[in-house]
Order: sequence, then C-alpha cells, then structure tokens
Amino acid sequence: MKETDIQLMFCGSAGDGTIAVGDIFKRAMAKAGYKVIAFDIYPPEIRGFGKCISRVRVTSRQAYSLKQESDLLVSLNDSYAIPHVPEVRDFGSVIYDNAPITSMAEGEHISGHLLPGQLPYGLRIREISDQTTGGSKSKNIVALGYLAGLLGIKQEPFHQIIGDKFRHKGSAISESNLLAFDTAYAEGASTFRLDFIELGAPERQEIGSKVQMMTGNAAVVRGCLDAGLDCFFGYPITPATSIMERLATELPRRGGRLLQTEDEISAIAATIGAGYAGVRAATATSGPGLALMVEMLGLGVIGEVPAVIFCSQRGGPSTGMPTKTEQSDLHLAVYGGAGDAQRIVLAPTNVEGAYRCAGKAFEMAEKYQTPVIVLLDLYLSNRYETVLLPRQNPFEADSVKHRSNVERGVPYKRFAFTDDSVSPRTIPGEEGGIHVITGLEHNELGRPNDQSDMHTRMSEKRHKKLLAALDHPGITIHKRFGDQGRVDVGILGWGSTVGEILEAMLMAQAEGISCSVMKVVMLSPLPNEPIRSFFDDCAEVLIPELNYEGQFANLVASAVSKPFTRLNRVPGVPMQVADILEQIRRLAGRAKSSNAA
Amino acid sequence: MGSTQHYVIIGNGVAGNEAAFHLRQRDPESRITIITAGRLLFYSRYELPRLFHENCDWRDFLVHPVEYYVDNRINVRRNSFVTHVDADRKKLMLAHKEEIHYSQLLVASGGASYLPAELDEFAPLLNGFNLYSSACKVRDILPQKGKVVMLGGDVLGLDLARNLVSDGYQVVLVTTEQTFWPHRVESDERALFIGALRDMGVEVIEGVKIERIEQGAPGMSARHIQFDNGREIFADVVMPFLGLLPAADFMMGSGVDFERGLLVSTNLRTTDQNIWAAGDVCQIWSPEENQYRFYYGWKNVKKMGEIAAKNMTGEDIHWETATDQKLFIDKNRQLISPYWEHD
Repeated sequence: MKETDIQLMFCGSAGDGTIAVGDIFKRAMAKAGYKVIAFDIYPPEIRGFGKCISRVRVTSRQAYSLKQESDLLVSLNDSYAIPHVPEVRDFGSVIYDNAPITSMAEGEHISGHLLPGQLPYGLRIREISDQTTGGSKSKNIVALGYLAGLLGIKQEPFHQIIGDKFRHKGSAISESNLLAFDTAYAEGASTFRLDFIELGAPERQEIGSKVQMMTGNAAVVRGCLDAGLDCFFGYPITPATSIMERLATELPRRGGRLLQTEDEISAIAATIGAGYAGVRAATATSGPGLALMVEMLGLGVIGEVPAVIFCSQRGGPSTGMPTKTEQSDLHLAVYGGAGDAQRIVLAPTNVEGAYRCAGKAFEMAEKYQTPVIVLLDLYLSNRYETVLLPRQNPFEADSVKHRSNVERGVPYKRFAFTDDSVSPRTIPGEEGGIHVITGLEHNELGRPNDQSDMHTRMSEKRHKKLLAALDHPGITIHKRFGDQGRVDVGILGWGSTVGEILEAMLMAQAEGISCSVMKVVMLSPLPNEPIRSFFDDCAEVLIPELNYEGQFANLVASAVSKPFTRLNRVPGVPMQVADILEQIRRLAGRAKSSNAA
Repeated sequence: MGSTQHYVIIGNGVAGNEAAFHLRQRDPESRITIITAGRLLFYSRYELPRLFHENCDWRDFLVHPVEYYVDNRINVRRNSFVTHVDADRKKLMLAHKEEIHYSQLLVASGGASYLPAELDEFAPLLNGFNLYSSACKVRDILPQKGKVVMLGGDVLGLDLARNLVSDGYQVVLVTTEQTFWPHRVESDERALFIGALRDMGVEVIEGVKIERIEQGAPGMSARHIQFDNGREIFADVVMPFLGLLPAADFMMGSGVDFERGLLVSTNLRTTDQNIWAAGDVCQIWSPEENQYRFYYGWKNVKKMGEIAAKNMTGEDIHWETATDQKLFIDKNRQLISPYWEHD
C-alpha cells in the first residue's frame, strides 16, 4: 500500500479565511481516515490584518512533527505568501489567483517568485468566488475546492464540513459556498497535473480506540473532563485561553463550575481553595500568569493541597511574544517561588500526551497532595493531531488518601509523618477532621512551628512523597525510541520539541547513524536513574530545546555528571528538524573519531 | 553593457533559451526574464514520442537541470500570458495585470498549431502533440496497437508517425497541402516520399477531404471519420499536423511591423529599436529573395537565438540565408527530414 506523506501550507491575510480553510482541510482529511498534524500561525494583533499561515501534514501513519518543506502552497494573499515560496520543495506546487482585480507592479505577483523547480497552478480564485457567492469572501473555499479536485480527494467529507461550518449563517450562504467549492473542484479535477503529490489509502483504525483530531489545548480539556474536573478558575492569556473557552461550554454541561477571575492570582487562589475543599480544580495560564501564581503555589506546596496548573509557554520574558512558541518557563515551573517548594511538573510531548498528562495530573495532585504543573507550549497547545483516545476512561475518579477512621477525642494530624510521606487527608466538614493550614511551617497538626528539626523533617516529607510519582501508573514518565543498547548519539528531549527530535532521529537512522531518543515527560521530580543509564549508553548526548539558557539541560546537568551538547534556539517557531539533524551528524562524526582513537 | 539591463524574452523554446544563455554569457550582471504561458521549464518536444515506450515524465525531457536557472539567474515566469506590449514605454502587461519593464525585448514565442477553418468545429475531437500535457493525453487514451489518424502530416507529425509505427501502433495519414511542411516538395518527389511512408508502415490516404469527425459509438473506436468520397474509417485518436502559425497576437497594437510573423531585418531587430524576434515567430528579410521569409527547424531557430542575444548586447551579426533543408530518402529507404535533428 502506498504511504501518504504530504504537507500543505495555506497563507493569507487575517480576514482571508486562511486558518478556516486549513481547518476544513485537516478535518476533511481526518474524516477520510488520514493522520493529520497541523499548526497555525496568526498575527499577535487582534485586528483584521497580519499574516496567517496554516500548515497541515497528512500521513498514512501519525507523524511526529511538521515537515520543513511543504509539498504545496496555497496563496490567498501574495504579499504574505511570497516570503514562504522557498519553503515549497522542488517539484512541489503553488496555487494562486491568476486573475486579480487590480493592476500591480513587477514582483507583486507570486508567479514571479516561484523557484525553477516549483510548479505553478494559477486559478481565477476571486472570479469564481464572485460568480458563485456574489463576493470575494469565499476565495478560501474556491482555493480549497481546486486543491481537492487537483489532488483527486473525494468531495463528501468537504461537503459535510463546509455545510456544518456555514449552517448557522443560513442555507443561502451554505449553498453558495458549496457551489464555490464544487465549481473550483471541477476546475481542479480537469487540470493536467505535473506534480508528484500522491495520496495513498489511509491506514485502518486500531480496534479499541477512536480517532479524533484535536489541538493540544482541546486534548487538555478532554483530559480534564474525563478525569472529573469539578471547578476551573482562569484569566485569559494567549495561548492558554482556548482551554478556558472550551471548558466554559463543556464543564457546566457536566455539572462543573467555571469562573473567570479578575487576575491570575485569584485564579490560583481559587484553585487551591477548591482543592482544599476536596474537589478537582484547575487553572490555565501562560508564563506571565505563572509568574504571578508562584507565590500562591508555595501555599499549595506547604499546605499539601492538590491543584492542577496548565501553563502553555510562549516567547518571553514579560509580555514577550504572545503568539510565538518557546520552552522558557521550565525554570519558573520547577523552581519558581519562595523556599524549597518542590512540585510535580509534567510536559507532554504531543497531543495525545496532553490528554493523558491532563487527566493524570489530577490523580497525582490528589495522591501526592501537591500542586501539579502541566507545561505545554504554544506549538503544542495550538497544533492539531489525529489522536487515538481510549474508549475506556483511563483516569481514576478518586485518588484521595482519606483518613480511614475518625478517632474521637484524638487531634487530627493533617501532616502526619508516614512511611510514604503522604498524610491521610480529610475534607473540610468531615467530623473529627478539624485542622489548621497556613503558609507557615507547621507541625503534624498544622500548627505553626519553626523549630529546625521540624522544618527539616517537613521539608524532607514534602520532597520524598513526590518521588513515588516517578512510578505513577498509566503515564509515560520517560521513554526511549530508536536504537537500543550502545549508540553513537543520544538525544534527550522534552515537550513539543520531541516531535522534531524524533523526525531528525529517523532521518539520521536512514543515513546509517546509530542513535536513540529519550523523551522525558516528568521534569520534576526528574527521573535521574533512567537519564543516567541513557547517558551510559550514548557516546554523545544532545539536548535540543527552545530556550536560550538550556533550562532542561541545566536540570539534567544537576543530575548527571557527564558532558553533553546543548542545542538552544529561540526563533519563536518550532525547532527545525534540519538543525537537529545537522548536530546529530556532527556528533556522530565525533563519536566515530573517538571510537577509532 | 551595464548591470541595469533587464532582458525580457517572451517564449520558452529553443530560440528563447539559446538567447538567454548567450545573454548571460555576455552580460553577467543583467536581469534575464523568460516569460512563458507553459507551466514547465524548457523541455525537448522532440523527445515526447518516448512517452509511448518508456516510463518517463517531464523531468526526463528537461533540457537544463533546475540548478541551471538558479546558477545563471534566469527567472522563468511560467503560466504567464502576455496580453500586450507597450513599445513606447518599454513595458509589457501580463494577463494577471502585472507590468514588466524591459530594456530589451526578444519575442521568441514560436508557432501555434494551424487548424483550418473547415476543421474548427471538430477541434474538441482532435488531439495535439505540441505540449507535454497533450502528448500525455494521447498516450493515455491510445490503446495498445491502437489506430491514429493524422491529418496533414507536417514534419513534426511524420516524426511522431515513424515512432508510433515502430512502437506497434497503426498510423493512417490523410494527406493535405501541408503534408511534409515546411519542406517544399516538388510534385515528382511527392510520390517517392509517399511511397517511403508506405514502406515504413504508414497507411496513406490521398485526394480526400474530411467531411465529418464524430465521437465513436460506445464500445467502438473513439473517433469516426467520414471523407468527401464516402469512405469512412474508425480510429482511436485523430491528430492534426498542418504546420504552424506565428504566435504573437500580443504584439498587435505595439507599433511593430507584422505580416504573417514579426518582420525583422537580417540582424533580427524589429521595427522597434528595443524589440527583437527569433524563431518561428519571425519573418527575416532576405535580400537575395527581396522578401521576408520564415526559417524553421531546430538548427535555424537556435542560431537565431544566439544572433539575437549577441546583437542585443552590442554586436552586429546578420542572419545568413540558409539553403532550404531537403527531405530525402536514405539508403535504408527511410524518409529523413533534417528538421528532426536536435541536440
């Protein structure tokens, strides 16, 4: 069976429907049974201008990341699309409007910028839109129809999705857009193709799972709901806002409550309060919001209160680059706040991982009585993937270690020292469970106590209990991919960059380089032993990440005393596979040289 | 010449590309733009018959690799249609409303297949072979050992005919006055050449006119051809090979003298100082014959491209009237046209 692996790029201005058409395309392809990974880029200004790009990779089997080069570019606005022409591969194609309405100077039309190896497909995009809908607003649908016809993709899934999309605008608009699609589809189907872009058959679905297409943030929402989220408190911030938006619709339907607070401090305070009250509670923010939350996080740590915080990272510091991706809040997530305030930090590497981490974060928060931070980033929050979600809910409904027997007349020790350092917990209102929680260091009863011995024992308790999370069931804490045993190059990765790392590893293996990847999902506490044994297996180790300092590398350096190579980039966009591959090649050469010596 | 020159070439065939090559050699700093309605880089149309017996695609027919255009900074504006040329302002307009300014313009847009008015109504039922796409279409619809009817039979058609016959297809040639075009064949030679064609395995029908071409009935051959003498034949494909007409409608209104083609002096300059022409689109002044005339064939056209480029960059080279290229029969009784020769 022929494998499918094509990537399309829609590029236009805000208002051209660029993101919308990318969305229709990826949904149609997912509906047809293909695997999809997609990522949209839009301008930071919340106004009707600026560049929008939607990239969609369609494969037979789920890909790890987007490709560096696209097979096809659809231009909905030449001035924005022209700089991206070099991203189309040799013998790839560019679809554009060849009958624009206004005259232009030399160089303003995209056809003059095509590279010799690229293939032009001109279409009367605006004209067809005008003829079929009476206006130019459906240029995106026209381009989509032409594209579908050109590639010979069946019309049905597009019809369904376009129909659904425009239904609320009335039947006239829905029908005219379908006509625009079909008219352009016929043009595409009758166009002589010169490209070599082929779609094979989609793979069959695995039994026991259901395929869905969703973003990282949508997966977080789904994970929260499946894990039984009761309360959500949040304050909007890019790129985390869509978590709250979705929950605002879906959580009340399930009997939950959502409150938009006046700021992030209130949001975390309410989350911790709800956790203290015994319900599953969460908040979602980005780096600037997490910076405001860390003081209150300390209260969660010292009070041993379950709380889940989703942080979708963006370019920083301060307001930074709200619509650009980065992995630079790791230090803040792991270390942020006063005192030794260790907490659990999880970083999913893909959309399915975002679902699992979201759900498991509630289990962990309750079981280990601590705040849990789930670190995403803009790239993972906004990127779409087709994911296989389990048909059976994989999350425990209740992980609370309750005080089993109420002993009347005996003071309840909320912070009792136990073998696993997790103290039996009561929920406010339980008979005999009265206790004190403040931000002060305390004794087992919760009463303020600043004796050195007590502080030492409590600090140890708060740290030690988290180590058990490294063996928490049902979640991947770390995983090794690629060649097993001794290898020339090992790549250690975290978060969304793992996708690019895995793609680079596959390319390196195809070149005959022995290499292996270890992804680390739990970043606090860090799985030191598995990381050390990975180092033992690798002649060279590379740690690529999207921050300037090498924040994950710093964590690793504190756990492993061996040398490694850092690869730090802060372009605001996902790391380039070619960049990683180049480093792998270099390190493989070095490993070979030292082996020979 | 300085680096501010922008040489624009309309046409992506032998003449245009040969000119681009020499322009780059002689003016390394200049801008060179080739404008073509086609979607492909320069490919060899002479190679298209390979489609019938090889598993190949257009990339196999490219005359230059993709890198050649990058290395030589030759921008090929494909899928671009010139609508008119404003010689006074030294600019041309593309169909998508983009203006292109030039310092020197070379028109090398070649010729389009000629179809006489009486066959116009049957055009949808005819298949060309002048483009990669049309060649692919013929390949795709022609069954194994299928039958092709050729109308006319100019040298391009005859080249295809000999390839089809050797690949096991049936070829029927319906002769017209364009048969053997652009060779000038005397009446006494004609019978010899027709005989040679028959020896090659081509069925030749002479002295008839097309009365009607129809879609074949379902399950039958795709085309049904009726002649004026009542005879009728069935075929899978009907292809006109009736010579070429200069393709330069966009030059109308430019102020440049035009007869059947663009009129150029022996240095290939048109009546405008900054516009030149080369290839099948131009008629060159022949002092010996005291008239303008066309010159065809790969060798002639290539030479024109070179001369035009050199003259556009300051030389003063003149076209030397070539003797007519003769059709002939070789010792193996094969009909040979010098126009079939190419690099």
